[in-house]
Amino acid sequence: MTSLERISATVRFERTDRVPVIAQIGAHSAIFAKKKLIDYVRDGELAAYSQITALEHYGYDAVFAIFDSCVETEAAGSTIEYREDIYPAVIKYILNPDSDVEKHKLPDPHQDGRMPEILKCVRILRQEVGDKTLVVGTVIGPMTVLTQLMGMERALYMAIDDPKRFVKFFDYACQLVRRFGLAQLEAGAHLILTFDPAASQTVIPPQFYREFVLPRHRELFKTFKEGGAIANWVHSAGRIDDIMPYYQETNVDIVNFDYEVDPLSAIANTGHICLDGNIKPLSFIFDTPEIIRQESLKLMGIFKERGGFILSSGCEIPPESKPENIEAMVNAARETL
Amino acid sequence: MQNNPYQSLIDALIDGDRDKAYQSASELLKSGIPKERIVVEGIHKAMEMLDGKCTAEQFNLLELMLTGRAVSTVIDLLYKGDQSGVASRETIVLAALEGDIHDLGKSIVKTVLMGKGYRTVDCGKDVTIEKIVETAKKEGAKAICISGLISSVMPQIKRLKPSLEEAGCGDIAVLAGGAALKQATAEVLNVDYVGITAFDAGKYIDTLLGYSHDQS
Ligand code: B12
Repeated sequence: MTSLERISATVRFERTDRVPVIAQIGAHSAIFAKKKLIDYVRDGELAAYSQITALEHYGYDAVFAIFDSCVETEAAGSTIEYREDIYPAVIKYILNPDSDVEKHKLPDPHQDGRMPEILKCVRILRQEVGDKTLVVGTVIGPMTVLTQLMGMERALYMAIDDPKRFVKFFDYACQLVRRFGLAQLEAGAHLILTFDPAASQTVIPPQFYREFVLPRHRELFKTFKEGGAIANWVHSAGRIDDIMPYYQETNVDIVNFDYEVDPLSAIANTGHICLDGNIKPLSFIFDTPEIIRQESLKLMGIFKERGGFILSSGCEIPPESKPENIEAMVNAARETL
Repeated sequence: MQNNPYQSLIDALIDGDRDKAYQSASELLKSGIPKERIVVEGIHKAMEMLDGKCTAEQFNLLELMLTGRAVSTVIDLLYKGDQSGVASRETIVLAALEGDIHDLGKSIVKTVLMGKGYRTVDCGKDVTIEKIVETAKKEGAKAICISGLISSVMPQIKRLKPSLEEAGCGDIAVLAGGAALKQATAEVLNVDYVGITAFDAGKYIDTLLGYSHDQS
């Protein structure tokens, strides 16, 4: 089976030759390829090259077109600060509660900020791996984009103080995300990973998810499917136990669960949805290959009967992780051959 | 309980309703109650009740943020933003380290500590170890709370205790917490304590400084 076939079959809960394994790697690939983080997040070609270098070495089942959580907000006009070895951060938000958001320009993925670099990265990745390996396009989810457009506290206070106005801002974020995701599908991504950590229970209560986020996630996933995505993948880092039941109503195909979520709870709360997770991200820095192997085997054991499981980390594997720990996770999946 | 004149303020703070909290506090002031009583019987009580309500599993950030905002509104009303009138306890310094711009968790820790009556000095986010040591020394802090959400701050926090010792203030306690740091142990981070929630920080400091935290 090719990686893409393995993932597709797993999403449909069909049998595979082995458990698929995806190392969620962003800038780690750059460090691995002896490049600088600051260059990785600004250069689609370099990012694609780094991703391919890491893929060839580790041999997992997917590559990512991903930079950081500022791409969308920068393209919409926020000011970003870049640093040598750490991911960039917003230093000036483009929107505030008084902004006339309905008149605010939507970024053009082919022109604005670093969006064109992400598209370039997608194109090169697809050219390089074709239909052998899953090419994952990524968007920051609408809730998180909104917090990146105006600041987390302001966005949350607005939702409470003036929900009608909040919805207008939220819908702007949704349109922005929709466009960017569709452009990546057009450029050749097999699917879009919607990374929406601000839509986790760590930040918002489950009722908030149900009322505001759920209908918008559902709409977004529908649009991506119509745009050619082979599946939809949602990722909200942190705790999601009480939000997971709502995922079923969004028609999402793959749900990431972080290390804080018990795999049994994930199974109980998601029904017939493929899951990926959940090795502790920091383990890849501090623990040994044997610990990672044991964790991996334990997880695959839990999912053996159920299927619909992709072995992965709970969240991004930190850039400074030890390569032998990532190898240990990939090798553990191979043991199931 | 029904006749507790502070009840409507306490309720408003717990509900995170800042308008109602402002109104209740104004009425208390007008009826001649001293500011200090409003702080102790209103704000401190509300924070104690929240402490009991929030555990690592049952934790609602939004609720806490709204309470934090309501508390600030009342403090502004009472002291025109000058915290020193509220703080009857020792000084605690807070910071997020260089390269880390997450600060929601730090604000919550601050709210909890302020609610308990500590004087807090917030160095902000993206702060160097040198700046933290300097501030802690200058302010005569008893403890430093480091909130760390990204793993890249780990090498930095390990340097904090040695730097404090070098500066001659090795007796200041160092606490760590936040999404990244809470995954590690105190030994690995070279700190005195690693806590999961903001209330853990409050409890550890209470015990350290000899306040019992079960008075409610
Ligand atoms: C909100 C958020 C953001 C916001 C921050 C807004 C803000 N003003 O704070 C934005 C969108 C800007 C952001 C940016 C990034 N983020 Co972020 N973000 C989060 C998110 C969704 C929630 C964090 C949060 O605020 N939680 C709520 C607060 C209340 O929780 P808390 O901080 O843990 O605090 C509680 C306790 O820990 C405790 N506590 C906190 N401090 C202390 C201190 C002490 C002493 C004690 C005892 C207790 C304590 O008290 C609080 C209440 O109990 C998490 C994911 C998640 N679900 O956890 C990711 C997360 C923290 N981010 C992450 C990352 C990687 C980033 C970026 C690097 C993304 C990128 N690739 O560009 C950038 C960082 C840029 C930078 N240079 O820092 C990672 C960190 C992974 C890692 N191990 O390194 C996380 C875990 C998500 C992920 N896996 O990708 N992020």
